[in-house]
Parts: sequence; C-alpha cells; structure tokens
Amino acid sequence: MTTTLLEPGTTLPEWSVPLTPTIIVSTAIATRDFQDVHHDRDIAQAAGSKDVFMNILTSTAFVERYVNDWVRAETGEGAVVKGIAIRLGAPAYPYDTLTFTGSVESVEDGVAVLKVTGSVSLGDHVIGTVKVAV
Amino acid sequence: MSAGTDELFGVDEAVHAEVMAEAERIKALGEAAEREARDPVNQPTINNWLEAMGYDDPRWKAGEAPPSMAQVWTMYGLGGKPPADDPLHGMMRVLTDAGFTAVLGTNCEQEYVRTLRVGEQVRVTTALESVVGPKRTGMGVGYFVTSRNTWYVGDEVVATMLFRVLKFVPRSKETTA
Repeated sequence: MTTTLLEPGTTLPEWSVPLTPTIIVSTAIATRDFQDVHHDRDIAQAAGSKDVFMNILTSTAFVERYVNDWVRAETGEGAVVKGIAIRLGAPAYPYDTLTFTGSVESVEDGVAVLKVTGSVSLGDHVIGTVKVAV
Repeated sequence: MSAGTDELFGVDEAVHAEVMAEAERIKALGEAAEREARDPVNQPTINNWLEAMGYDDPRWKAGEAPPSMAQVWTMYGLGGKPPADDPLHGMMRVLTDAGFTAVLGTNCEQEYVRTLRVGEQVRVTTALESVVGPKRTGMGVGYFVTSRNTWYVGDEVVATMLFRVLKFVPRSKETTA
C-alpha cells in the first residue's frame, strides 16, 4: 500500500514542533528518563547548559512520529518502522522550534530508507536514517 | 585506521594503556547486566508517552507499542542505578576516573525486529562494543564509547540499539588531563 508513496526522491512536508519547557519535561518523564538536566533548569545551567534540553529517546520518538504521521496521512495506515538511527547535534532547548524535513533515499529489498533532519536555531539537532518496510 | 592513530593528543601513555586494557576486559564480558523491565508493556505507559509526544495512531491503542518505545520499558526509573557489572557504566567510570569527566551522546541506532505487544515482559542486556580514541573533537579530547543493548521477550530478540557517547575532557580543563 505504501509502495507508490515510498519512492526515492519523494520529500516529506516540513513539520515544526514549538518547544516549550512542558514538552521538554513531559517527554523526558514519559520516556522514563529522569536525568535531572531534562527537567531541572538550575541543575542544567550549573552543568553549563543554557537550559533543560530534549533527551535522546524523545528525539528518536519525534523522528518516528514525523515519518509515521506522513505515511498515515498519505495512505491511511501507519508506517512499519524497522529502524531509526540518529546522529545528535545541537541541543534542543525550550522556546526554540524543532523543524523536521525529510526525503526517501532508496528502496531496496522491501525496505525504504528515509533521511530525516530535525533542526533548531543552533543548527541540526538530529540527523536520522529511518527504515520503513514497504 | 588512518594516520594519526598513535596521536594521543596530550593523553598520558599510561592512562591510554589503562583505558584500552579496561575496554578489552569489559568487552570480553559480552552481553551482561541483564535486567527485567519493571513492568510489562502496558497501555497507561504508552498513553502517557503518546500524550507527551502529541502522537496519535490507532495501532497504539489496539495492543501494539510504538517501536521507539522499546528502550522505555527497561529504563532505570527515578533513582534507579545501573548494576555494578554494567559494561557501559563500567567503562564510563574508568574514563571518568581517568579525567574524562564530561559526556555527550552522539549516536543512537535502534533496530526493531517487531513491535512489542501489551502484556509482554521485556528484558535487556548490555555489551561494550568498542572504545575508540583518544580523538580531538570540537568539545575536547576524549574517547568514543559504543555500547550495544539487546531486548528480548523470552528468548526472542525484539530490538537492538547501538549507543555511542563521547567521554571527554572539556576544552577549558584540557591542561589537567
């Protein structure tokens, strides 16, 4: 059902997440990540950070959501995600905006490989490679 | 390996030798520090995660868990600590003690064999995959530590993750390394 959608060169519509303290904190806790730099600004700043910042499980989750929402919007059914590999860059802080772009890179052996980038004002926060079963 | 493999970027030779010897010892442990998820895969935890992510798909209300939640089930929880024999934290401790006090996640590569289902009990193992360095990076001189997690339901592998961190001496403190 997704074979016509998942073709090399297809681009995904841009998607932006306005980052609030609530998003940073609630996603960290919902992923059961209680590291204090994700929910306690005083501790994050004492550690040299500008503010609390998004945890890695949430960066991965937003990559999943971005790809799944797109496939679901286009086909009516969600994606079968087989893998998400991310490289981490600039931190994602509250009051910034995380903007995703993406495209289908290749389709081989029943697996589409998508390249997804999530950027913040400081640069690329996350560069992801997502494998989706076709 | 490229030219510069032997460049230590100011790291003491004995310190480097100790770090690499410990890396070999910990790698040889293989899959270790096995632990069970606190709870089986469950709908309330999925719902909290979906709300926080603003993510909606009827599959995640019908018995399946979103794939990138794989790691969530075996997080340590508030106040939880890795077991003493945990390969990743063991290696981090070695590097912290050697002066590489700062840490930065650089890569996380998850593979999902299948989606998990509500009610399944997940367990995870941790192995040290590699320690590479010292390298000079924009953050400072340090080592890249890569661990591998494997999640199981019973004897079935359901997901894996390669996780890489940079353990480094912050640039302002490099003279003391």
